[in-house]
Amino acid sequence: MSDSEIINQELDDAPAPKLPMAAALVALCGLADAVYLTIHHYAAEPVPCGEAFDCASVLTSPYAEIAGIPLAVFGALAYFVAFSLAILAIFGNRATWKLFGIQVVLMALFTFWLLYLQAFVLKAFCQYCLISAAVTLTLLIIALASKFWRSK
Amino acid sequence: MKNQPKKNSATPLIIIGLVLIIAIGGGFWFYKSSTAPITGVKPSPGKKTPENPVKSTDALGAQPPHMLGSPTAAVTIEEFADFQCPQCAAKYPMAKEIISAYGNRIKFIYRNNPLAIPAHDKAYSAAVAAEAAGLQDESKFWAMENQLFTNQSSWTAATDFPKILEDYAQKIGLDVERFKNDMAGIVAKNRVDADLQRGRGLGVNSTPSFFINGKAIPFEQVEITMMRQIIDAELLKAQSGSTTNQPAPANGATNTNTTNK
Repeated sequence: MSDSEIINQELDDAPAPKLPMAAALVALCGLADAVYLTIHHYAAEPVPCGEAFDCASVLTSPYAEIAGIPLAVFGALAYFVAFSLAILAIFGNRATWKLFGIQVVLMALFTFWLLYLQAFVLKAFCQYCLISAAVTLTLLIIALASKFWRSK
Repeated sequence: MKNQPKKNSATPLIIIGLVLIIAIGGGFWFYKSSTAPITGVKPSPGKKTPENPVKSTDALGAQPPHMLGSPTAAVTIEEFADFQCPQCAAKYPMAKEIISAYGNRIKFIYRNNPLAIPAHDKAYSAAVAAEAAGLQDESKFWAMENQLFTNQSSWTAATDFPKILEDYAQKIGLDVERFKNDMAGIVAKNRVDADLQRGRGLGVNSTPSFFINGKAIPFEQVEITMMRQIIDAELLKAQSGSTTNQPAPANGATNTNTTNK
């Protein structure tokens, strides 16, 4: 216990480790979601889709790829980086937690764009994309909460 | 603040490495265990952009193409669509509106581009059905197109698709026996394949893809207001005679009409 107290003193300004831990877990969910979609893309298999959704419409739309690479690949990379930054932050690296915050803001902006496309351009939703959006927004909330707590 | 157990500096890297291995390894394992053949549409290097418009040397597609409007119109709209693609059905009313609004001022060409993905398991048959209908009479192609797009949700998940196609054939007044023969024959399939080849050459890797005077229209501009603006601008260009861009001969070899006035 005394060891950990010393660490906590060293990390006086570091984020509450609970938040990076939560962020790492949430990012893992996003990673799983994105890897799942990536596999289905390359296996050319339709994903199981709920009644209220139209996954095929979204996942085969012109927006589902950038330069021939499915968005799911970019999503998997982004969640892996977010996870790694959060893990490093758990172990007291403040710089990576800052980077995590910046990354999550960028991801959230992109997520809003994708939600807009689904709602207004494609007029169709896919639940895996919505899960990804929920993951990113949760990460954003965690990053904001961390900022708020630290500035108090 | 909650206490945090002391870890040595390698621990986070080990965790990150493990997750990376699980993500990649697990991903490959699931991919390998998937039995579905890889039939996804590969992006073509010939992707067309406004800067890289359709050229007369591009594959011609089925000849003669399914065309509405005037063959000598100054504006050619070419649509590559897949009857099983929800966005194509969603854009169908827009295409109809454009066709009726511009009449003989445009040349509208429909190209089959059934995507070879499992989610579109009936797309190729649907395209062949429309072509088979067109073999009886050109107007029947458009009638079948109408049936397929307007009833898409009812046939896309159906198990008795051939029967549904025969019902549509009967409904639009086709000789059903001939329709069945034509569906099984090579002529209709060849037409679909020719269109597919043209699409591939133009870099069409998603549907619907629209080209106006040979220029690929980004999907976000494929809505009635934007499309009308683009068409109006092309009409104006042709009218003022200041056109420097020669519109592409979208109907290829048979296009003996000069599209520039």
